Amino acid sequence: MSIAKRLLHGLVSILGASVIIFLISRLSGDPLALLLPADAPPDVIEQTRQHLGLDQPLVAQYLKFLGHALTGDFGNSYRWQEPALGLILDRLPATVELALAALAFSIAMAVPFGVLSAVHRGSWFDRFAKVFAMVGQAMPNFWVGLLLILFFAVQLNWLPAFGRESWSSLVLPAIALGWYPVAAQTRIVRSAMLDVLDSDYIRMGRAMGLPERVLVWKYALRNAAIPLVTILGVYFAAMLGGAFVVEVIFAWPGVGRTVVEAVFARDFPVVQAGVMLTSVLFVLSNLLVDLSYSLIDPRIRHG
Amino acid sequence: MQQHPASARSKLTITIGALAFGAMTALWGTAQAAPATGSLTVAFGAESTTLDPVRISAGVDHYFVGQIFEMLVRRNASLQDENWLAESWKLETGKDGKPVLDVRLRKGVKFHNGDPLTAEDMEFSWQRQRDPKGSFFSHYVSSVERFEIVDAHRFKLHFKEPDAQFLVGNLQLWAMPKKYIQKVGEEEFARKPVGTGPWKFVSRTVKDELKLEAFDDYWNKNKRPGVKTLTIKVIPEDLTRVAAFKTGKVDWIDNVPPSMIEEFRKMPGVKTATLVSGNNLFLNFNTQMPKSPFNDVRVRQAAAHAIDVDAIIKRVLFGQGERYAQVGKGSNGYDPALKPYAYDPKRARELLKQAGYPNGFDTPCYNLTTPREPGVKEVGEAMYAYLSSVGIRCQVRNLEYGAWISLGKRGRSGPPEMDGVLSWMWSQGLPGDPGLAWSGHLHSYQPGGWGTYSYTNDAEVDALIEKQRQTMDPAARTELLKQIARLKHERVLGGLPTYRPLVTFAWREDKVHYVPWPIRDYWRAFQEVSLKQAQ
Repeated sequence: MSIAKRLLHGLVSILGASVIIFLISRLSGDPLALLLPADAPPDVIEQTRQHLGLDQPLVAQYLKFLGHALTGDFGNSYRWQEPALGLILDRLPATVELALAALAFSIAMAVPFGVLSAVHRGSWFDRFAKVFAMVGQAMPNFWVGLLLILFFAVQLNWLPAFGRESWSSLVLPAIALGWYPVAAQTRIVRSAMLDVLDSDYIRMGRAMGLPERVLVWKYALRNAAIPLVTILGVYFAAMLGGAFVVEVIFAWPGVGRTVVEAVFARDFPVVQAGVMLTSVLFVLSNLLVDLSYSLIDPRIRHG
Repeated sequence: MQQHPASARSKLTITIGALAFGAMTALWGTAQAAPATGSLTVAFGAESTTLDPVRISAGVDHYFVGQIFEMLVRRNASLQDENWLAESWKLETGKDGKPVLDVRLRKGVKFHNGDPLTAEDMEFSWQRQRDPKGSFFSHYVSSVERFEIVDAHRFKLHFKEPDAQFLVGNLQLWAMPKKYIQKVGEEEFARKPVGTGPWKFVSRTVKDELKLEAFDDYWNKNKRPGVKTLTIKVIPEDLTRVAAFKTGKVDWIDNVPPSMIEEFRKMPGVKTATLVSGNNLFLNFNTQMPKSPFNDVRVRQAAAHAIDVDAIIKRVLFGQGERYAQVGKGSNGYDPALKPYAYDPKRARELLKQAGYPNGFDTPCYNLTTPREPGVKEVGEAMYAYLSSVGIRCQVRNLEYGAWISLGKRGRSGPPEMDGVLSWMWSQGLPGDPGLAWSGHLHSYQPGGWGTYSYTNDAEVDALIEKQRQTMDPAARTELLKQIARLKHERVLGGLPTYRPLVTFAWREDKVHYVPWPIRDYWRAFQEVSLKQAQ
């Protein structure tokens, strides 16, 4: 499929997301009940409703939102009284940083685990990798986060328990978020490696006397990596989505926390800006993954 | 007009108290004369959404706005109302027979940008607050018809009708800088607020921190913070906030989780303060649907006897709740003679039988799940289990905050949506005044601000609530409040009160000197704080 066509599909997805988030957020309740003091009389409520444009019909509200969104204006947050896009953009780097670090951690675990488990199938290492990965999948990330804080911050005092001040602040949240997908990724690498190791060109290479290390890490892994790369985009999106819980645990000033709290507060502009931007990121990351195939396997070319 | 008529004996007590307080103040003043030094980092579980005093809504907004802005009157650490930006004030009767409040402003008060506080700023603040387009609190000052500037430090508020709420709400007005707001505009003011408070705004990163700096020109030299910079970190997760304290990253934390309070009390070098929160939790019964069993007072009394609140406080809240009957201790209208309904399931079943429900009945029971106060979800579930055990069989429906508050706010036309029991909370301040809460919860619904959250319809109580609002004489008003509290208690109207949560702060005693101060409704002001050793 051509890149232009993929971009078009992406745009349709983003537009679809905008309609869904616009409607669902408005179905979920009235923001004014949350925004105004509990004893606010009807005239204050009406004035505020008009001020926020919530007295308009839904279709008119949506078209206005879409028109402004195209120019990058998502309106002001009801609660923070600041531009919603600015609130999201300010926090986006923290979340992307966390998601990338978590993804890097998961790959750094999954690739060696997968490769070595395939090469030494049934060995003690294979079993250890399986258990390690399963533990990460079995424990919810908020629990992992709290255990990491208790052990590495409170007991050992090696790493900070919260905030985003230096690289060391990133370590614990990245592990808490990135441990979960290790199991699935290890399985993908392992089974892909088993297939590849059984293929003719590896046997050929072995017959030619190439060292096993070169065969495994240079020739086999490159082919075995394609299935993993294919789903990296999905994992990146999952990391962005899952970051919320970890952001709360580690007081990480990210976008997930901001958007989820905005959902609870019915702060529509922030929810819309957050979801739209995440959709764009998701579409872009999938596009990048598609493009990266050709780098790994030159036989795949985009028309 | 005298504000607080007191007997000779109580006058003596007040005088001795004042002398003692004055002596303490003088000692403290000596300690505070030195310029502020060092820095202190503290951790809160939640953060304010705005720093603009006329747009605050959530309780947490008060904690932050109150560090930067001040009102005419405030409560001090001993829970006494103290003239603050007002040097003095008196209530008079105007020529037309309507009340007039004559306020003399304290001289020498400066805003953080150096502008002096004058009556013009207060007039501007009043205008800003009464405009419903920008203010969420226009109804608080709607009884004031006219603002008259007498001179730079004196003004008069002419009321169109008596408004007792105005007096008990610290004279309602926040001091905001006219010139600054007119120069920079509303949005910039909200971003970089300028007030007269002990702390001036430095910077804020949403979801991360608020940085404040001690205001060198703060007018109250005796109550000036001794710390130069204050960083308020926002750490929502309880255990992480605790970890931040244990690892020394912060030296003061808000809301120690109830299950860990004992551990904190035993920690060497750590001091804790446990205070009653302004919030109180009660169960609202719908008495407005024609066939609702709760229309019968015996059913409501049965519910009151069915719940063992003390056991819930002990087991679910680790003891961190204060039982109360109607108005909390220390609040206006507190009546020690009123005792909470005793836990008596046998009596509850009897009352249900008398009301015609020998086999009980099924009812929806709505429960708040968002942790606005520790353990509210679990407390609600426990209460509903107790109700079910005597025959008020609860079908529990859990709600997150947004859905809960929308449900609680009754429709303006047609019957209310809530058709059973709803766990509810309302802040009455500390020490509180129930006038505002009762106007919203106890008075029957009427357009114009009465009974916004009410499920009650009692003409006698309505008349009394309206009367207390009109009664500006404190002693007479207190009697009215007591009378309302008694009726409310006997008839189980406007909800069944259960407990007020206790909030615990902790700080490193060897490093920090801290005295909790109530700002408006909450005990989080850093008014008396200093470091014991230079940082």
